Amino acid sequence: MPHRREGIEIFARKPTAVVAGAVFAAFGLSACEGPQSAFGATGADAIQLETLFIVMLVGAAILWVAVNGLFFYVTRVHTTSISRRLANGVIIGGGIGLPLVVVTALLVYGLSIMPDQRAEGDGLVVKVTGEKWWWRTEYQPLAGAPVVSANEIRLPTGSRTTFELTSERVIHSFWIPKLGGKMDMFPGRTTVLTLEPVTPGIYRGQCAEFCGESHALMAFKAVVMEPDAFDAWLEAEAAPIQADPQAPGAEIFFGEGCGACHALRGTQANGAVGPDLTHLATRESLAAAALPMNREALAKWVRNPETYKPGVKMPAYDHLSDEELDTLAGWLMELK
Amino acid sequence: MTRRENVERQEFAEERASLWKLTLGPVTWAVHFAASYSLTAVWCAKLAAPQDDITLLRLIIGAGTIVALVVILLFGLSAWRQWNYTQTGRATHAFGDAENRHEFLGHAATLLCGVSFIGTLYTAIPVLVIGSCT
Amino acid sequence: MSKTRTHRIDRHTDPEGPYPPTEEMLAEPIDPELRKAQGERLKKAWAMPKGWRYISAVNNSEVGKWYSLTAFGFMILAGIMSLIMRVQLAVPENDFVSADLYNQLFTMHGSAMMFLFAVPMFEAISILLLPGFLGARDMPFPRLSAYGYWAFLIGGIFVMGSILFGAAPDSGWFMYPPLATQSEGIGSDVWLLGLSFIEVASIAAAVELIVGTLKCRPPGMRVNVMPLYAWYVLVVGGMILFAFPPLIAGDFLFEMERSFDWPFFDPTRGGDPMLWQHLFWIFGHPEVYIIFLPSIAIAAMVVPTAAQRPIVGYSWIVLSAVGTGFLSFGLWVHHMFTTGLPALSLGFFSAASEAVVIPTGIQLFAFVATLMVGRVKMSLPMLWIAGALAIFTAGGLTGVMIAIAPFDWQVHDSYFIVAHLHYTLFGGMVFPLIAGIYYFYPFMTKKTMSVRLGRWAFWLLFTGFNITFLPMHLTGLKGMPRRVFTYPGDVGWDWLNMISTIGAFIAAAGFAVFAYDLLRPKGRQPKAPRNPWNGGTLEWSAETTDHGWGSRSIPYVTTRYPLWQQKGIVERMDEGRYYLPDAEEGLRETLVTSVIDAKPLQVMRVTGPAWVTLWAAAFTGGAFILPTFHIYVPAIISGVLAILCICYWLWTSTAIIPEKTKKDAGLGLKLPIYISGPGAAGWWGVFITMLGDATAFASLIFGVFFYWTASPDFPPEGSIHANWIVMAAAAALLTASWGAMLGSRQLNMNGRGDLATACLVAAPLLALAGIGAMILSVWLPGLEPTSHVYPAVMWGLVVWTSAHVGAGVIMQLYCLAAVIFGKVTPRYDAPLWNVTLFWHFVILTVLVTAAVVAALPRVL
Repeated sequence: MPHRREGIEIFARKPTAVVAGAVFAAFGLSACEGPQSAFGATGADAIQLETLFIVMLVGAAILWVAVNGLFFYVTRVHTTSISRRLANGVIIGGGIGLPLVVVTALLVYGLSIMPDQRAEGDGLVVKVTGEKWWWRTEYQPLAGAPVVSANEIRLPTGSRTTFELTSERVIHSFWIPKLGGKMDMFPGRTTVLTLEPVTPGIYRGQCAEFCGESHALMAFKAVVMEPDAFDAWLEAEAAPIQADPQAPGAEIFFGEGCGACHALRGTQANGAVGPDLTHLATRESLAAAALPMNREALAKWVRNPETYKPGVKMPAYDHLSDEELDTLAGWLMELK
Repeated sequence: MTRRENVERQEFAEERASLWKLTLGPVTWAVHFAASYSLTAVWCAKLAAPQDDITLLRLIIGAGTIVALVVILLFGLSAWRQWNYTQTGRATHAFGDAENRHEFLGHAATLLCGVSFIGTLYTAIPVLVIGSCT
Repeated sequence: MSKTRTHRIDRHTDPEGPYPPTEEMLAEPIDPELRKAQGERLKKAWAMPKGWRYISAVNNSEVGKWYSLTAFGFMILAGIMSLIMRVQLAVPENDFVSADLYNQLFTMHGSAMMFLFAVPMFEAISILLLPGFLGARDMPFPRLSAYGYWAFLIGGIFVMGSILFGAAPDSGWFMYPPLATQSEGIGSDVWLLGLSFIEVASIAAAVELIVGTLKCRPPGMRVNVMPLYAWYVLVVGGMILFAFPPLIAGDFLFEMERSFDWPFFDPTRGGDPMLWQHLFWIFGHPEVYIIFLPSIAIAAMVVPTAAQRPIVGYSWIVLSAVGTGFLSFGLWVHHMFTTGLPALSLGFFSAASEAVVIPTGIQLFAFVATLMVGRVKMSLPMLWIAGALAIFTAGGLTGVMIAIAPFDWQVHDSYFIVAHLHYTLFGGMVFPLIAGIYYFYPFMTKKTMSVRLGRWAFWLLFTGFNITFLPMHLTGLKGMPRRVFTYPGDVGWDWLNMISTIGAFIAAAGFAVFAYDLLRPKGRQPKAPRNPWNGGTLEWSAETTDHGWGSRSIPYVTTRYPLWQQKGIVERMDEGRYYLPDAEEGLRETLVTSVIDAKPLQVMRVTGPAWVTLWAAAFTGGAFILPTFHIYVPAIISGVLAILCICYWLWTSTAIIPEKTKKDAGLGLKLPIYISGPGAAGWWGVFITMLGDATAFASLIFGVFFYWTASPDFPPEGSIHANWIVMAAAAALLTASWGAMLGSRQLNMNGRGDLATACLVAAPLLALAGIGAMILSVWLPGLEPTSHVYPAVMWGLVVWTSAHVGAGVIMQLYCLAAVIFGKVTPRYDAPLWNVTLFWHFVILTVLVTAAVVAALPRVL
């Protein structure tokens, strides 16, 4: 790794400067990074937009300094008057010439990106329906039956996936900043978004259109996988439940009537009001990323969902004892 | 009606018209813009599927753009004559007499035609780079 | 307005005497005794009501002061809401406020800043300053300003107060359906009705400002020498006129859905939430420029004074104001870039959004050029202007970025946008506004504000602002969406939010210092000098003692900076050597001049203090506010009382037949006191109002076409259509009513009062029959408005049109009474002119409605 060696050499010569630079760069990078950041993009679309932003940022910085510098110069430094003729030139040059050149170039560059960003998908279609406040998903591979799931998006790298977006009652917006731009979800119509992930990883997406009381708590994890891993996951996801439907936790589940709202494929639970729970425990998060996916969180959530998501439809099960909740949560964690 | 009254009336009508003239350039831009947008909306909603080729739509908008640009140019030319810069070399018009006011309205209308011209050209840029209804 | 009508040959109304005045006439000295007597009479005529009667005042100086202080108060309240939000967001997973309260807070913060601060503030400041810029005595319709103010105050308190009861709107200031239509409680209704009420008041103020600029300029002030502020008022007034009505049309549809379940935005019954987005943003984007341009206008007054030179590029600035005004109507879809519209459509709006950079750039560089030509003295107002430029250019540059549609897909509805919009609004509105307050404070109050406190306020606000909002760009790029009441701790937004919260409190401290300096008592402080900044425009001619009369005499103006360029103008004004130096009859008067060249046309008597405006505003408030609580009968009674108050007000104080046809306006010029038709200010008021009204109607028609474009079957197969024969009859009846109205005007003018009366009896009867027929045309076939959007929109058009015809009937009856009781004579016929003009618009509405309801669905 020649790059690194060079770094070490410089380090030897001017240690403080390099340390400062490295700290600054590291901080700068880490300051911009994050699971939901548009920086450090991992999808083809987001990478394109990141470049666009950097270009615009540099241009904007130069223009800002130029305009304000000129203002400072004429009000503080060079306050003697110039000729009106020259002043007219300033208006024409600064007001028309400069923006004409800069803005026209930017417009052509920016708009020519649009067809790329709206290119057709390669086959896999994911239907996502915005609900209050969670995500209903349905994977429609080119071959095979559709697979229903919820509250998480899994995508393969190396191909362009089509999202068909709609909503149940109000407008939401589907956004995974690491992968690309957002698209609104309307009740009564379908909007289309395509994304092309490049790097596998676990990212975060969130609803971006204000959708009511718990808008802030409507997020999800977006898991980008190698194509093989994705195919394996989809196959597993298509299967009926893997946990024991006779276990004590299951009895609580069915006894409390959870199946009226939630589906567990392969059992009599076939409710469609709430998210499908067939493979709940394989998800990276709970309750549309409001909570982590673990036993404690599940028990807390079932006891009183309102605490973690104001306005949620799911009723509280606070009449269950701590043991019952723990047993139920334990069984739910087996829904792999 | 005396002769003086007659002349005054004519002048007044002309000046009132020139206040409206100020808006002719921008109005042309607006009509072109609204027409391009509506045509695209209807075309993409009623006539074409998202991935269809829309060359015909682009050609129509292109032709419309040329017409709009010519119209703005003509308005601009008339305003330029009213400004009368080549004769007077005046660009300030700061005095409150009829001549200054007359030329000022011409001057401002010329400039507005300039901005409208650029605005109309800009409207055509997307037609050059985007080729479908997606 | 045909040529002949404008210039009706009428020896009663044509001005007599020399104009323009010669230098010798102006040099003529005035007898000191006479001068004193004139001054006394003027003072008496323009005296402010004393004691508790003070609130019945209508002078622009008082109404403007109340208006701006009220708007400032609402801003402080909305600012406090933002501080509460900042505390909530300071740390992740905070529970300082609940989700519900947070949603109310951000909704109210946005709504109040837009509707209760930014737009009213422009109107307030303009009412306060415009007559000063124009050397006019007052606004053309002082009671209308007062009415607008009281309506604003009542509506504002109602909307703001709702949060104290936890009943505030909570669906965002943009109120997107279906969220807002489904929202339980009265929040959405508070927003719709409360703010519609204020929007109506805003339009009223805009009409008044436009008429004031067009018709109340001093003699000689042709359009090429108007102060730039007046140009901006004209442009912004025009924008309000065309931008607010689409929102009012949207409100109308929205409230019909909320109250009567007409499914305009309900996708399950053919409605479309996108229609609201279009209507809202056709209003919402020009709104941004409606806020921005007036502040640029203030800068256009401050900058030449700082440079001590006339502005460079006057024509360029006029171009940029008018150009921005137009282009701003082609940007609205850039708020809807992520709604899935075709890329090509988005491209048009990206292009227009970028094109607007050019006029904005011209505007800024014209200021820089002026400063380059002059020798700049950095004063406190200039410091604020410099801050404004630094902030605004940053906001403008991020604006250029997000105008590129694909980039907006990434940052739309994220904190990047929050940062961008606050940069444009602070740089484009708050900072120039404060600069203007420091600059004009001596004019408004005859005192000065503290330079030391002003600098403190500036640096606190400037640093606080940047600490708050600069990091937000990054917060947004790191993915934080807007309008979230909380966020998790593990996504890297926590420290950025903490910094923003700290900055918000520093900025708040800056506001506090400014507010203290603004409001602290200054009674013991010496009076400010008359023209402290050595400005060149007419407002600085105001005397240091306020007599309520504006300027002592109305000058003859031939330059852009009369105080610099017309020697001795101030002395001559003071001595009453110009126009209207006297109030012989003890009445309030101001000059009406022609639109382009400001030739004197009329001595207009303007209205004085009154209680009826307050009553009218209170009852109008009742009519809008009571339906929020579904109290309909008292609401209707309140509405009727409001109409009665307005009729009483018009009857007793407008179009009064004068004791003589003409009076001496000074300098030997004899002008008519009463004119009717297109020369009169009232006629222009009606004309301009109706342009706005026509825009609202056009928005409804746009809605019909929108439904057709957006849905595959509109009207749906097998829909019931309106009965076209009955609708044709309605159109015929209403056309007859319009004809009778027109006939009454012509007959009256020809001295046939009896026939005119007959026409005025027939007209309302025909109109009422027309309303009946119109309603029957949709009622008889059984169009059920709750079943689908198609019958709903047909009914909507009929209701809208019927309401207008109803208003037209009231006006016809007013004219009938006026003819019978001698308020209208063949010579004095302004009401007939104005009502006929209203009916021209009504008949247009009727015919379009008839065509769309009866014919169009059969074609589509």
